[in-house]
Amino acid sequence: MASRTSRHGPARTPRRAAPQVRRRRIPLRLLLPLLLLVALMAMLMLRGYVHSEILADHRVQPEAATDKVPEKILEGGPVIDTRSGRTTSMSVPDHRLVLTFDDGPDPEWTPKVLDVLKAHHAHAVFFVTGTMASRYPELVHRMVEEGHEVGLHTFNHPDLSYQSKKRIDWELSQNQLALEGAAGIRTSLFRPPYSSFADAMDDKSWPVTQYIGTRGYITVVNNTDSEDWQKPGVDEIIRRATPKGGKGAIVLMHDSGGDRHQTVQALDRFLPQLQKQGYEFKNLTEALNAPSAHTPVTGLDLWKGKAWIFLVGASDGITDALVVGIAITGVLVFTRFGLMLLLSAAHARRVRRRTFRWGPLPITEPVSVLVPAYNEAKCIENTVHSLMASEHPIEVIVIDDGSSDGTARIVENLRLPNVRVVRQLNAGKPAALNRGLANARYDIIVMMDGDTVFEPATVRELVQPFADPQVGAVAGNAKVGNRDSLIGAWQHIEYVMGFNLDRRMYDILRCMPTIPGAVGAFRRSALERVGGMSDDTLAEDTDITMAMHRDGWRVVYAEKARAWTEAPESVQQLWSQRYRWSYGTMQAIWKHRRALIERGPSGRFGRVGLPLVSLFMVLAPLLAPLIDVFLLYGVVFGPTQKTIIAWLGVLAVQAACAAYAFRLDRERMTHLISLPLQQILYRQLMYVVLLQSWITALTGGRLRWQKLRRTGVVEAPGAIPRQRAAHSGDDRRPVG
Amino acid sequence: MTTHEYTTGATPTPPLGAPRVSIPHQPSHQQPGPPAQPEPPAPSAPRRPGRDRYLDLLRSIALVRVVVYHLFGWAWLTVLFPSMGVMFALAGSLMARSLNRPAFSVIRGRVRRLLPPLWAFSAVALVLMFAGGWSVTKDPDHGGTWGLVEMINYVFPFGAPPFPWHIGDKAGLLEDTWAVQAVGPLWYLRAYLWFVVASPLLLWAFRRVPWATLFFPLALTAVVGTGIVTIPGETGNTITDFAVYGGCWVLGFAHHEGVLQRVPRYVAVSCSALVMAFGLWWASGHLGPDGWDLNDIPLAQATWSFGFVVILLQYSPSWQELPGRLAKWDKLVTLSNNRAVTIYLWHNMLIMATVPIIDQVYNLPFMESERATAALDSTYMLWMFVLVWPLIGLTILAFGWIEDIAAKRSPRLWPNGVKKGRSRGRAGRGAAHRG
Repeated sequence: MASRTSRHGPARTPRRAAPQVRRRRIPLRLLLPLLLLVALMAMLMLRGYVHSEILADHRVQPEAATDKVPEKILEGGPVIDTRSGRTTSMSVPDHRLVLTFDDGPDPEWTPKVLDVLKAHHAHAVFFVTGTMASRYPELVHRMVEEGHEVGLHTFNHPDLSYQSKKRIDWELSQNQLALEGAAGIRTSLFRPPYSSFADAMDDKSWPVTQYIGTRGYITVVNNTDSEDWQKPGVDEIIRRATPKGGKGAIVLMHDSGGDRHQTVQALDRFLPQLQKQGYEFKNLTEALNAPSAHTPVTGLDLWKGKAWIFLVGASDGITDALVVGIAITGVLVFTRFGLMLLLSAAHARRVRRRTFRWGPLPITEPVSVLVPAYNEAKCIENTVHSLMASEHPIEVIVIDDGSSDGTARIVENLRLPNVRVVRQLNAGKPAALNRGLANARYDIIVMMDGDTVFEPATVRELVQPFADPQVGAVAGNAKVGNRDSLIGAWQHIEYVMGFNLDRRMYDILRCMPTIPGAVGAFRRSALERVGGMSDDTLAEDTDITMAMHRDGWRVVYAEKARAWTEAPESVQQLWSQRYRWSYGTMQAIWKHRRALIERGPSGRFGRVGLPLVSLFMVLAPLLAPLIDVFLLYGVVFGPTQKTIIAWLGVLAVQAACAAYAFRLDRERMTHLISLPLQQILYRQLMYVVLLQSWITALTGGRLRWQKLRRTGVVEAPGAIPRQRAAHSGDDRRPVG
Repeated sequence: MTTHEYTTGATPTPPLGAPRVSIPHQPSHQQPGPPAQPEPPAPSAPRRPGRDRYLDLLRSIALVRVVVYHLFGWAWLTVLFPSMGVMFALAGSLMARSLNRPAFSVIRGRVRRLLPPLWAFSAVALVLMFAGGWSVTKDPDHGGTWGLVEMINYVFPFGAPPFPWHIGDKAGLLEDTWAVQAVGPLWYLRAYLWFVVASPLLLWAFRRVPWATLFFPLALTAVVGTGIVTIPGETGNTITDFAVYGGCWVLGFAHHEGVLQRVPRYVAVSCSALVMAFGLWWASGHLGPDGWDLNDIPLAQATWSFGFVVILLQYSPSWQELPGRLAKWDKLVTLSNNRAVTIYLWHNMLIMATVPIIDQVYNLPFMESERATAALDSTYMLWMFVLVWPLIGLTILAFGWIEDIAAKRSPRLWPNGVKKGRSRGRAGRGAAHRG
């Protein structure tokens, strides 16, 4: 996921000299992605909440003394009324049975139970939990429609004797809320989780029962327990459920919590069998000849309930979509890693073969090096000096794009042979490059940035592929010079992976999306055929590369053509750089979308290259934050240990890929130590940038940008890599 | 505590006319070359040794964090900002700076600055405890004569002093554990004193084998702080504290000697993140009575503080002045740094003292309704928090000047850096100069 380095020269310039007014409030670019993430997280939490992953409490109180429970309750019936100071209990009259089903509704078994009840014209009572009722509201609605009664069984089934009064109130009201939303009713029946018979009341559960009475509920326990959850067999369930001697009874059964086919089968025999014995199957209030326990709700309460049900439904839907998303991401990420490892190995093998030649003769003719520069006073001298050491014959053209810091004069004062300065009014990098092109004498054009430093061999290595007449453009290997800071080290890893894995892969697949602005070479004739650089997009280098592909040219990667560049050292600079890259890439993909339907090489690129590039560079990174969302969720609520182990597993895969890339480039592995932190700090930044680009793209917003503040840390070859140049960036310290 | 650095070195303040803007803010630790570069000897030197306001700010944050933590008892604060580690690191850095001079005189100076404020505190605490009816010789926790011998720790804190676990009446003016609360923080002075005494040796070791010395305390914590080896009694406490915070103290050396700055930042930050992750992992498996309170989990405290301090010191920007929006805290930062020992010594007793004061509110006429009482009950901690700061201010006025006397300075009442009249304190910062 990390390395989707598309190198377009480091932060290019603020061509539009917009006055930079800093505002203090949270910028929209942060606000929108942030809101999106928060909403996602909230939906996940809601889902975890109704799936009993959050706030679940599975403790069960051991039996306690019973000396505080009134005798008449212990010996009384299963319907316990403790409302407004009463302490009475009632029993079901003889020859009446009240079937009660706990813990539902369940999407699989509850409909079957309802079908059986309907077939035998029986009514029953369903004690539903809030979590299940929220998830399957249509079943609750059906229960009420078909004449059954619904009772509360708390929201997520804790042993209430462990809970505070606040929590009990909350359990009840959330459960009611779910009922309101599902069936538009409130109920006054309640059954405590883990309850059984009235004589099982003890000193722990009795106070809870009393308290619940004060909230206006009738507590319903039972006379016979089918113990169907133990799956003892149909006969046994019937035997346990049947009361003795024609007595009335409340029967406990379950329609949820596992495989309930025995319950359904037992019901199918139990109902006709007892009906023949003269039993009636009623819901509770019918059996007691009392008014219904249901009260319809209207107005605000109803809407609150409906809103709740809707939100739960939405969160379930969104979570399912997220899970699909993360599965796709996982497949994409690992396919990409696999593909990268395979193809980069193949590429390295091919170009490193001793007998490998680009063409019959090596390129020795002189080439033109274009250096567009805008306010590069700090770096331009290093840049030009590094070119002077080139082992390949070159002419250097520095195009000063209306700098205000005397960049052009610095170069002129160097009085170097073969270095020309062309000045223009500030017109942007593409225009500068086109002007340079017009002034160039030779047929091969090398382009670099004003802040980049070449090694003596860079130009020679960069132009060798042109010995193959099919090659129209060559990408060099840009390296981060300032890699000692944390953000520098992260970019270093990103660059090394991007150049040694991604670019080799793209080379083999013939769909290299970008020639980095920092180090690239073009065949002049190819450039002229596609009309030179264009300022249609923010990423002119991606744009021109795609145009080359469409014109049928090969674009290849020259690993030994190393250029040292200075990476942004502050989050803000990095942000604006990456924003331009990712938005520019989107623009370029959009600009060249017609390639999809064209014929010839353009169509080949359009149907193979463009989708690949879109998938890997625009779509996959968009889904990748899901991994972090689930990580966060898993660490906080889920199986923490498993989540962390899974994350470490992904990290290990990343590390292996990175290590391979470092080995290909013969880099020291020490920087890999910052990979774990990169995974939790840097990557997320990149997502947000990408998300912001999406938002910009979809809303058609405009960009403002800033120039990367140069510190001139990257120096001429010989001193490469210049580490820790005493942090000359004093000007950046907030000194009072 | 670490206020002594104000007079460290023989460097007088440069003349007021010296243009501040022209001074490059090169902190001494960024100087390459021989370690422990002495401060510029002459006032005409282009460099002002000054105070690193970043470190001052850290110390202030650490102090506030300690007070808040002792007041509310939120365990997560120990993770959010490991105050003690930060304070020991800052003290270690200053100690390394002072040790250019003969070790014995440095130690003597440190001890001399530490003890008088302690004596003032001890005197008040002991009077209160004796008035509460406590007698060392009869305290079952501190048998007879040995208890008397231990009393010397109120004068020279080589160990933790004896104090009654319960004093007075539960229903009394103060909770019966006030003595524990009040005297509890003295462990810091004990640890500090031992660090000071051990510093010449530690610094010597650090200059020879820096990495081994840096990680030795962590290794020691892994041995004595995890139950592999348990050293009983006061010795055990002393050694454990020494091990837990020793890493931070030596990090202070490393910071001052510039060793930390020579490590590439990405290495330092990444490695300390790993060390901190280990600390969290260890803590998650060894949660104490207060959950994530690192003070109960030595190895987690040691590693988390170590990593945290590395990152703080690695990014150490060496401010001459507090930048931007921080500037308005300048006076408070200066004051809290000048009176760090006083604040630390007294804060817990003052937290206790807020209780009887707030309790008086219950007697006010308009507090008779049940709702008003309930409102006060539920916001009690908040009022304690509000009240403790004025009390700390009063204590600074009453006892703070002892710190100046101990440092052989003329006593100041309210040293917040504002230069007024002929006050001969440190040249005022910020506003005074900008004017």
